[in-house]
Amino acid sequence: MRLLWSMEGAARLALSERGDTMGYHSDRLEAHLLTRRELLGRSGMGFGALALAGMLSETSPAAAAVSTNPLAPRRPHFPGRAKRVLHLFMNGGPSQVDTFDPKPILDQYHGKPIPLQLRTERKTGAAYRSPFRFQKYGQSGIEVSELFARTAECIDDICVIRSMHANQPNHGPSLLLMNCGESRLIRPSLGSWVTYGLGSENQNLPGFIAMCPGGYPGQGTKNWGSAFLPGVFQGTYLDTQHADIDIEKLVEHIKNTFLPLPNQRRQLDLLRRLNEHHLERQQQDAQLEARIQSFELAYRMQLEATDAFDLSKEPPYIRDLYGPGVQARQILIARRLLERGVRYVQVYHELNRTAEPWDSHEDLEVKHRRRARECDQAIAALLKDLKQRGLLEDTLVIWGGEFGRTPVVEMPTPGSNNGRMNGRDHNHYGFTMWLAGGGVKGGMVYGATDEFGFQAVENKVHVHDLHATLLWLLGFDHEKLTYRHAGRDFRLTDVHGHVVKDILA
Amino acid sequence: LTLLGIAAPVAAEPAPPPQAVEFFETKVRPVLAENCFTCHGAKRQQAGLRLDGRETLLKGSETGPVVVAGDPDKSRLIHAIRYQGELKMPPKGPLPAEAIESLTTWIKMGAPWPESANTAGVPSSPLSVDEARRKHWAFQPVRRPALPAVKDPTWAQTPLDSFILAKLEEKGLTPSPPATRRVLIRRATLDLIGLPPTPEELAAFEADRSPDAFARVLDRLLASPQYGERWGRHWLDVARYADTKGSVANNEEPRYPFAYTYRDYVIRAFNEDLPYDQFLLQQLAADLLPLGDDKRPLAAMGYLTLGPRGNLADTIDDRIDVVSRGLLGLTVACARCHDHKYDPIPQADYYSLYGVFASSTEPQDLPQIAEPEPAAYDAYTKALGELQQQVKAFEDRNRSELQAGHRKFREQLRALQRKVDQHRLTHPGAPPKAMVLVDASQPVEPRVFLRGNSRALGATVPRQFLAVLSGDDRQPFRQGSGRLELAQAIAARDNPLTARVLVNRVWMHHFGQGLVRSPSNFGLGGEVPSHPELLDYLAWRFREDGWSIKQLHRLILLSAVYQQSSADNPGRQQVDPDNHLLGKMNRQRLNFEALRDSLLAVAGRLDRKQAGQPVDLTTAPFSLRRSVYGFIDRQNLPGLFRTFDFASPDTSSEQRHQTTIPQQALFLMNSPFVIEQARHLLTRPDVAALREPEARIEYLYRLLYGRAPEARELALGRQFLEAARASESKDLQLTAWAQYAQVLLMSNEFVLVE
Repeated sequence: MRLLWSMEGAARLALSERGDTMGYHSDRLEAHLLTRRELLGRSGMGFGALALAGMLSETSPAAAAVSTNPLAPRRPHFPGRAKRVLHLFMNGGPSQVDTFDPKPILDQYHGKPIPLQLRTERKTGAAYRSPFRFQKYGQSGIEVSELFARTAECIDDICVIRSMHANQPNHGPSLLLMNCGESRLIRPSLGSWVTYGLGSENQNLPGFIAMCPGGYPGQGTKNWGSAFLPGVFQGTYLDTQHADIDIEKLVEHIKNTFLPLPNQRRQLDLLRRLNEHHLERQQQDAQLEARIQSFELAYRMQLEATDAFDLSKEPPYIRDLYGPGVQARQILIARRLLERGVRYVQVYHELNRTAEPWDSHEDLEVKHRRRARECDQAIAALLKDLKQRGLLEDTLVIWGGEFGRTPVVEMPTPGSNNGRMNGRDHNHYGFTMWLAGGGVKGGMVYGATDEFGFQAVENKVHVHDLHATLLWLLGFDHEKLTYRHAGRDFRLTDVHGHVVKDILA
Repeated sequence: LTLLGIAAPVAAEPAPPPQAVEFFETKVRPVLAENCFTCHGAKRQQAGLRLDGRETLLKGSETGPVVVAGDPDKSRLIHAIRYQGELKMPPKGPLPAEAIESLTTWIKMGAPWPESANTAGVPSSPLSVDEARRKHWAFQPVRRPALPAVKDPTWAQTPLDSFILAKLEEKGLTPSPPATRRVLIRRATLDLIGLPPTPEELAAFEADRSPDAFARVLDRLLASPQYGERWGRHWLDVARYADTKGSVANNEEPRYPFAYTYRDYVIRAFNEDLPYDQFLLQQLAADLLPLGDDKRPLAAMGYLTLGPRGNLADTIDDRIDVVSRGLLGLTVACARCHDHKYDPIPQADYYSLYGVFASSTEPQDLPQIAEPEPAAYDAYTKALGELQQQVKAFEDRNRSELQAGHRKFREQLRALQRKVDQHRLTHPGAPPKAMVLVDASQPVEPRVFLRGNSRALGATVPRQFLAVLSGDDRQPFRQGSGRLELAQAIAARDNPLTARVLVNRVWMHHFGQGLVRSPSNFGLGGEVPSHPELLDYLAWRFREDGWSIKQLHRLILLSAVYQQSSADNPGRQQVDPDNHLLGKMNRQRLNFEALRDSLLAVAGRLDRKQAGQPVDLTTAPFSLRRSVYGFIDRQNLPGLFRTFDFASPDTSSEQRHQTTIPQQALFLMNSPFVIEQARHLLTRPDVAALREPEARIEYLYRLLYGRAPEARELALGRQFLEAARASESKDLQLTAWAQYAQVLLMSNEFVLVE
């Protein structure tokens, strides 16, 4: 039935190009989706898709693999190493010299000026040594501070990038840069690009879920927005502050409080009959078929979505592994979501009455210790848990903030550090992030900051480069994952980004 | 690692002074571009030399530097162009003396090279401004096209149809038969007012056999106040309408208290059929127009002011974008950092418009545009006075702390001020105000921001209209900011884009697809029209009809092409699967607003009150107002809106996405709103009065679908009711009838416009 493949030239090309790659994207995925916009009108899911598959099989067997549901799983440009992503966002900016980038020279220089001056957001002064002990871990012997002693047990699965750098020392723009590849303008988030590119493996849950206990992080919903991509790719936000997570907030109208399921089933049976009768009169119409099928999907969703958030289904030893607290709970939820095929999960650190919990302008020792204690055990548990389930190899875990912190002390600043001189200012010149699983080398340190830990100097990795690499791991050429909007083809990395090949396993 | 190597970030080289930039851009770059770049540019670098950027210029060729900044006599480049030594460049013959002199002077100046992204390998438009003006279809003047010859002389009802038919016949296709009357009135009613026809309206039309019966239906619909609510909403998509600012600083009021006055203005403009050119002028420059006593048109400027807020440059970028894409179908905002890649829009043009908006400011006190109800207003002012008194008292009490900038006090003050704001925007007696712009006392002489960076200033440019749309005597704007002149240039009769863009948008809403399928991009990167002559005919007629949108609706809806059936036939599908040729009507689905409003309408509950402050649509007790009056939070658009493909208010929206996802089904299956309407559908007096099940089913079908049920549908209904009744119990909250009614509301037929 060629008539169903009523698509524009580019998409027709995309299909015919498939051939031996069997369903991998053409260069222009977006043409594919534009087509889908029409196909959503014309083609169907479920029995519609089956019918479609049958009809298409005469002409193009590959075409049958194409589904028209915007969240249906899709293959990327080439086989990716990672199938799903968990981004542990340390909002506020953890200090690299206190976590994963030891700089013993700061001890010598403590209280003295360093021969390196970079403009910071606030006034900074002399070198400030790390109050935390570092120690070598694992076969790789990578040094990690006591703050992440548990996580460090997994260091041989972790690739520490010590040469990250961004554009500005301010939270807002840097959050957006990290999440959307652009500091100011409204652009689709990484998670929405990934969901746009790959769809989701679970049609009963959103494909992209962002969790933050206690409210929104800085910049709010923009962090997981879809901008000009269709709204279905936007992250679904969930407040994980309280144990009794309201599933209704995750999937609106997931519960019917008026009718028991058997009665609703009877309604849907009647609906299907009436719709099918109507369809007969309307002749073939995939838009209508798709809509019929969406009610069946919705019905199943009611049954399955709740289960993902029910931590009582986890055995006690698993809950103990992750430990107590909000962070642990949401990281465990994250694992359950990933396991169920949610494509992209983002977990922000609990807000603790500030939008930037890792933002230790003062009392760094106390505050960083507290933040790390809230998540270290759970992160370690997650890595081990994913590994023992065989999920780590194709799950990409990302850890990091929107930037790092200065190796020098922040001077007393009204409105910032309450006049105390025991914290660090924002630092976008150099900071650390780490990746684990999903096709990255474990037990590896990539890049370096200068000897004080201020500025990335060796094998520098810009946020755009990180994005290009993440997309590569998922099977995408970052220059080709595009979407046409307002007259041009947009991409996550805009005109930037290089894949960091050295960290690929 | 050496510390020295990283001691300080490299300071950007200071931008050359404007005179140097101008000299370079007018005398030097053109010479280099025309004579040198082919061999020493982005594509080829003969002898390793690249002359299209300062860095590579100074680096020189394989054999060493070619330029010594400040010293032309030591520069090999100058030797070569003087044809003095062995190396003579360009090889095809010496440059004119004037060009040689310019390059010499330039090197003497130190070879200043204004930073611009164009030198960074961003290709510019393939067509120059002049070429584009001559060649690109959208820049050609709108002319009345001749009607094409057609084989079948009987089908066409209007000139529009001839254009459609000619193309169909070219492909050997015939149009579809006309839709039935029942389909037609349902289509037109949902299309024009976003609500289904009542059984009475349907019956009256079916009984009216006079030749102008449908024309009179159109007159009735276009005269209905609901028309503006439906079509005004289409415009609000273009205007990226929202009631909030987007991200704001802590404690800043996130709402626009008076965005709604713009929404109400738009609805009224559509209802009153305000000529489109006036509509445009008012939206860009109502403050500069002689309005007389009625100040309500000032609210039109919300088009400019109610966008998402960022820093000044981003706010202005939003305004340039909404004006250029929304009104002209040009993606001017692409030229913020460099010349437009596809269209003949130099970066300088962007900053010419930037200057217009940078020279316009929002006044502290917005003008009041109408009188509120006296009683409500008294209550409002009394409470407002008290709140303002509180602010003042706090300021007096804590003056020294506030002056010292104590955070705690500043925040307390802001919290108090926010209470005042909240009062101003939520109190029903609050006087409506217009979100205007006014000209700044001193207009800004805009300068190009190199690479879009507001700290890297390039050449000064005049405030003026886009080059490609200006005649040969392009003049800088002279009056104040130039905003009114900009508006006049857009609304000018001879502007080739304005009318085409608008008629295409209207066509798109009637047919589901535009004649140009990139409705906000008529540039070189956009789509070409499927029926260019038809587009021109519509644009020409639109202007001839005094820019009347209602006349345009009449023209389109009275055409044979609009009145076709949406049923398909296999032969047509083979040839034109996307229905570009319109050999049938496209089926459409109710959008979010029409779905919600139709549910309320058939349940007999729709509150037809017009205008006013926005209402919350998503929480119980549910508002019964039309969806266009819903509160739209740009920062946090309710999930329900996103689920149903509502236009993102982040930027001007040309067309909504259309997805089919289970969350849409969940809304219809489970939301208390839908269940409430299903229940009310049964308590309508006309429905409740029918005790006999078959009669009631029949009436429901007429009410919801505009037709009688078939025997099979009746039987299915009876069976369902019996089974549902058998399991009815006291603790079941929905009666069998309500369950049945809900199914009818969930059906495909209810949301489908044939």
